Amino acid sequence: MASFSQLTRQLGCLRLSAKPQQSAFQVRTISTTYTPKPAAVPFPAKLPKQFLNQIPVRYHPHAPKKIKVHPPPPSARDACKDPIAAVRESQLAVLDPTGERKALFDYRRSRRSVKVGDIVRVTFKNGDPFSGVCLSIKLQGVDTSCLLRNELTRVGVEMSVKVFSPNVESVEIVQRAEKRKRRARLYYMRQPRHDMRSVENIVSNYLRQKSAVTGQRTSYGKRR
Amino acid sequence: MPPRLSRRLAQLPLHFGAIQAQLTTQNAVPIRAFGIRSLNPPKHSKFNDGPDLPILKSSPAAALERKANTLPLRTGAIAIKNGMTAIFDPDTGKRIPCTVLQLDRVQVIAHKTVDVHGYYAVQMGAGWKHPSNVTKALLGHYSGQGVSPKRHVYEFRVKDRSGLLPVGELVSADWFQEGQYVDARSNTKGKGFAGVMKRHGFGGQDRSHGVSLTHRSLGSAGPSQGGGSRVYPGKKMAGNMGNEQNTVQNLKILKVDAENGLVLVNGSVSGPKGCVVRIQDSIKKPWPKIPETIVEALT
Repeated sequence: MASFSQLTRQLGCLRLSAKPQQSAFQVRTISTTYTPKPAAVPFPAKLPKQFLNQIPVRYHPHAPKKIKVHPPPPSARDACKDPIAAVRESQLAVLDPTGERKALFDYRRSRRSVKVGDIVRVTFKNGDPFSGVCLSIKLQGVDTSCLLRNELTRVGVEMSVKVFSPNVESVEIVQRAEKRKRRARLYYMRQPRHDMRSVENIVSNYLRQKSAVTGQRTSYGKRR
Repeated sequence: MPPRLSRRLAQLPLHFGAIQAQLTTQNAVPIRAFGIRSLNPPKHSKFNDGPDLPILKSSPAAALERKANTLPLRTGAIAIKNGMTAIFDPDTGKRIPCTVLQLDRVQVIAHKTVDVHGYYAVQMGAGWKHPSNVTKALLGHYSGQGVSPKRHVYEFRVKDRSGLLPVGELVSADWFQEGQYVDARSNTKGKGFAGVMKRHGFGGQDRSHGVSLTHRSLGSAGPSQGGGSRVYPGKKMAGNMGNEQNTVQNLKILKVDAENGLVLVNGSVSGPKGCVVRIQDSIKKPWPKIPETIVEALT
């Protein structure tokens, strides 16, 4: 067996570089070999009837047509996304056109509003006033109400007043709370320890001062 | 292995008598019949049925006649419950709690008639559904009637043919008039699997006096040997509560806003916010008087 000379054996390492380099693409295994998608062959125009069942139904000469979808009519839901708000606004436009009453109780936004702990005097259409400490204010659109607590004939009395009711003629703040209350609902004031008892004295004082300033007589006599 | 006929039986010699019998039957001239023959030809009825007899109480015709007085004259509408609020009567200052219902693209889809279905009803649809989410069969049903695919589909029974509103007709909020009464039909809020105290208002059992671990359960499920030693059908037990259809009758319509499709109904309606409510003229109040302009516009 002829042996390679010393020189050729040493040059053998160059053989690799002399070989034409194969790209990574070309050395892929057969399982991943890329074959382009064959172009669609059109069906013969006049296919005999007996072969029709071999081709998809949509290629039949009298294939069923696509179902026509009708467009929807204009939507009331798009016109009015929040119906409750729409009803609320239309109600407030009638009950409180100036927005004054709303500002008087919207304690989250207006600084001049009634706040819990204030002493409030409400007069009704039938002439009956009611005054008391405001224990809570519920902001619920048209249903906004405030809870007033007082003492009549030594019995604790509470009244929830629907603020936007047409029966409520006027709402006055008699006295502000000394300090800002740290709670939204002052239900603890029902406990004997915290109970404010009657606010009649404070209210009558306020009414006296008010009549002195305005020079008018108020409906003081009808007050219970 | 499949069963095989034994060789002795397979090679059985043919009986001469059998062939003779076959020949004799072939000699008789058979009558050849054409077409399809009924296996059950109509027979004379042994019951007393004739044209002059009164209609039976259990027949569909009698059922329709019984129903005639309690079926509304016109179709109702599908609405979505939006929630509750209140309105104040400006004159008396009275607060009236109300439920806000919205009618969204309510349209007549199809009719059901006595001849075909056995009763008169109007199939109504509301909302809109993307055509790709609708089955092909249903899409064909909508398209055949010229109506867009609908999100909610319900049927409203009407008394007779005059109550069948034309297919494709839109029903807006002013289909109802302020002051008229409606019945609202919807599914109640689901409460899940509830015990007997919550579901049927049972009293439960004692807190103490030896009661152990069964404070909220039912007592006995039925009598013993004298009563058959079994639990009677319909026994009230714990189970799924709510999410069942409920009808609230005689709700007054307080306000109608056709632009926004809003109908304000006095009081409450079953179900959570966003549920589907079917409203139709109240069957326990006189039918509303429809203004002639609306009637003319429809006919």
